[in-house]
Amino acid sequence: MKLREIAYAREGDKADIANIAVLPYEDADWPRIREALTEDVVRRKFGDLMTGTVTRYEYPNLPALNFVLTEALGGGVSLSLRVDGHGKSYASLMLDIDIDG
Amino acid sequence: MIRIGCGSAFDRDRLDWAEDMAYSGIVDYMGFDSLAERSMALNQLRKLEDPGAGWLRRIDNPAPGFDPRLGEIATRLAPYVRDGGTVIGNFGAANPEAGGELVVDRLREAGATGVKVGVITGDDVLAQVLDRDLYLPEQGCNVSEIKDRVLSANAYIGADPVVEALQQGARFILGGRLADPSPYVGAICHVNGWALDDWDRVAVATAAGHLLECGTSITGGNYADPPYNEVANWLNLSFPWCEVDDDHIVVSKLPGSGGVVNERTTKLQLTYEVHDPANYLTPDVTADYSQAVVRELGPDRVALSGISGRPRPDKLKVLVGLDMGWKVFAEISYGGPGCVERARLAGDIVRARVASRDADIIEWRTDVIGVNALYGESLEGGYPADVRIRIAARTKTKAGAEIVLEEAEYLPISGPAAGGGRGAVNLQRAIGVTPAFLPREDVPLKVKVHTV
Repeated sequence: MKLREIAYAREGDKADIANIAVLPYEDADWPRIREALTEDVVRRKFGDLMTGTVTRYEYPNLPALNFVLTEALGGGVSLSLRVDGHGKSYASLMLDIDIDG
Repeated sequence: MIRIGCGSAFDRDRLDWAEDMAYSGIVDYMGFDSLAERSMALNQLRKLEDPGAGWLRRIDNPAPGFDPRLGEIATRLAPYVRDGGTVIGNFGAANPEAGGELVVDRLREAGATGVKVGVITGDDVLAQVLDRDLYLPEQGCNVSEIKDRVLSANAYIGADPVVEALQQGARFILGGRLADPSPYVGAICHVNGWALDDWDRVAVATAAGHLLECGTSITGGNYADPPYNEVANWLNLSFPWCEVDDDHIVVSKLPGSGGVVNERTTKLQLTYEVHDPANYLTPDVTADYSQAVVRELGPDRVALSGISGRPRPDKLKVLVGLDMGWKVFAEISYGGPGCVERARLAGDIVRARVASRDADIIEWRTDVIGVNALYGESLEGGYPADVRIRIAARTKTKAGAEIVLEEAEYLPISGPAAGGGRGAVNLQRAIGVTPAFLPREDVPLKVKVHTV
């Protein structure tokens, strides 16, 4: 199953850093999202798109995970030659991650 | 209790929705964000095209270094400020003084006589940055080492000068690089009588500003993903507005508008562009969003609570804008069997032809749109029906970038078979932005109030 079936997401950019918040549709799915979506899993998914690190933060009450990806936007939107220099579309790549059904 | 609305999330945002907010009768204050990270450098360049000139002396460059919509905003919102509404924004960009002149003139034309216009200056810290030869942590060098590339240096400034202007009775306030939430923070703290060192309350004001500053991002924009998240009515979206009081933030949209404000849109905006939620740094406060609670009170009415704050950072963040040459893009489509291979061949041909000329290429990139443009190797699909090859380059000079465009233009007649739909041509400056930090005492701010 894809993460998209149980969660939604949005990306924000600051210079060459992207942050992607991931939020479950149902609170009942929070524990398994929290367990499955490790920094390593996200780092592997983003592969060559980034050269920096992935750090995970939590908002326990929303609930939400927030991933901060450094060196992730080809230098940042004002410099980058990428189609999506803001990285807005990263939210959809995050939701493409496979989760155990 | 204050009711405050959003009027803009960037410098080309729609004015009709700002007018809807102003004349809704709901909000006494409106905040406007006009700036992205690269905006200060680009506005500085536009200002330099006109050294020393205010807007009155210019016809071909009607907005030398400030929000190009500013004159129209002042005209269209003149009745709002005349009748007691207040407009606060960073639309002064690189030239708040000239922007202020224009606002006074337009408000006078529109009959808003007696209204006070507050102009905030001092965020332009290029002189201090060069003087002190600041260290640029992300560049790993001091400013002097890349001095010839430095275009601009602006400190993110906070709500203090906004409050000062409000205390002097200003109802149209413009500054340069006011931090995105700070126009809202100034108004909220002023109306609610909150001290700017009452950190928990300033954090509440900051969180409210954070919900408002991106416009329709909380009222249905960047949200729909059918069949999961849906927006029923896409017409006539609304900018958001908030009620803010002690321990009370409620966000909503205008009655009768399209879009949606719900728990999900609110959570998405709260987390937007935040890194560590326990340490969200602004010039006004170190805000803690980590314990935030979002609760739907009713249709299109959502409450945010659980926000706290700690003292603001000692130093102000400065964004230094660097001239990194020119960026150039061009596209062409190929379809049917073999389209991906022909698209890649087209990219190779242009690259080889450009390389045979003196185009000062710094960086080169090709993407096959429909195959790998957004996610590289990270997401794979089947063979597409059609693709677009996107050729992108960064060059030292504008002339070099024009060579790339010229070579891309020859593709339909002297490239691979059946290429069509050449276009999406774009040539722009490449701006690098890199942070530095200055003690607050090195960034003296000034508020000047003019009466229309």
